[in-house]
Amino acid sequence: MAAVRPLNVFDAYNRNLKGKKVTEAEWDYQIIPGNAAKLKEKYNIKFGKEIVPEDKDLKERLFQAGLEMLVTTGIYNADLGRVLTISEEEVMEGIKKTPKWLVLGENRDAVRFEPRKGNAPRKPVIQGGPTGAPVSEEVFVQIMQSYAQEAVVDTLVNGVMATIEGNGAATNTPWEIRAMMAELRAVREARIRAGRPYMAI
Amino acid sequence: MLAGWVAQGNTIMIEQMPIFGGYCGGVEETTICDIATTLASFTVFHANYHLDGPIHIRWGITTSRETLQIAAHAAAAIDAHTDLLLANQYYPIAGPCTEMCLLETATQAISDTASGRELLSGSAAAKGVVQDKTTGMEARIMGEAAAATAGMKISEVNEILEKLVSGYEGNYKSAPAGKRFQECYNVKTVQPTDEYLKVYDGAVAKLRDLGLNIR
Repeated sequence: MAAVRPLNVFDAYNRNLKGKKVTEAEWDYQIIPGNAAKLKEKYNIKFGKEIVPEDKDLKERLFQAGLEMLVTTGIYNADLGRVLTISEEEVMEGIKKTPKWLVLGENRDAVRFEPRKGNAPRKPVIQGGPTGAPVSEEVFVQIMQSYAQEAVVDTLVNGVMATIEGNGAATNTPWEIRAMMAELRAVREARIRAGRPYMAI
Repeated sequence: MLAGWVAQGNTIMIEQMPIFGGYCGGVEETTICDIATTLASFTVFHANYHLDGPIHIRWGITTSRETLQIAAHAAAAIDAHTDLLLANQYYPIAGPCTEMCLLETATQAISDTASGRELLSGSAAAKGVVQDKTTGMEARIMGEAAAATAGMKISEVNEILEKLVSGYEGNYKSAPAGKRFQECYNVKTVQPTDEYLKVYDGAVAKLRDLGLNIR
């Protein structure tokens, strides 16, 4: 049946509330491994030695297996202990609705983020940064600058400020908010120091 | 939060890191789950782009043979069927200012680029768990290796990948810890040390010897 519309965040929330009840243990130990193994067998998926696949048919079967895994298994909401389900038609409508390209950053530091299709001659967008690794507050600006100043880097991803004014930035404390604001100021300072004030963060 | 971001028109990145050797199982099963959750990110959670990061349950890294294979197969399969924007993130085992760290990072950049990914995000050297063990030099090799790979034949890429992975995968237990940013750069001028530049040049020379036309 055709999809009513691509799922939006409100549809997804409501569907979560009405989803089938499943325990986390059942999901982790039975449903996920069981369904993945069945689909591996159904689509005859076996990797060779190659790291990057060249076989067009294998890529086709893999995509179908992944799509079927999503449609037949759903997504588990651990807080509610319920499973959200989505139809194949809704998945395809959702893919269609997703923007085909984005612009990251602004003005002269903007970069186009668009499909490459296979190993196209255009390089991917290079996002430099510690990717969530812990960084001392004393050198946070300098570490971020070390990425922002690299010619090959297009956008930034920040690290996690380990302390703020000497206090641990623990979750669910006010220091977490203070550290996050300090991180933002530091990354902005780093890109200004590197002469790229509009680089995407 | 998601409802607010959607209403605000923000660019939404959804991150998900499948664990190889975890609940999903082996490389093929984990790839199937990776594809399923990538598609869910766009169609259930409003992602504009997806940040992957298959991680090895034993080593906690993204640069192992198995996790590279999962990421590459998932990206290539999705890329062949959609225009979705796909990214991957970097967790090598070795620390900064070591050839192993740079070669691990380059290896993943080669694999990600050849499999059609659109954005590479990194790098969190030393598994991303040690304070100040990340620097811009690792991002330099990630970007330069990607630029050198873009447009290459996949069969040639796989040959280079095989040599690179075989060269470091036996050394995880004794991986060099590397140095902190404060030892890799002049903190005042934010310039890499001569020592790190030499290590970088050595890694680049190795990559060139293997057939990668890296600058």
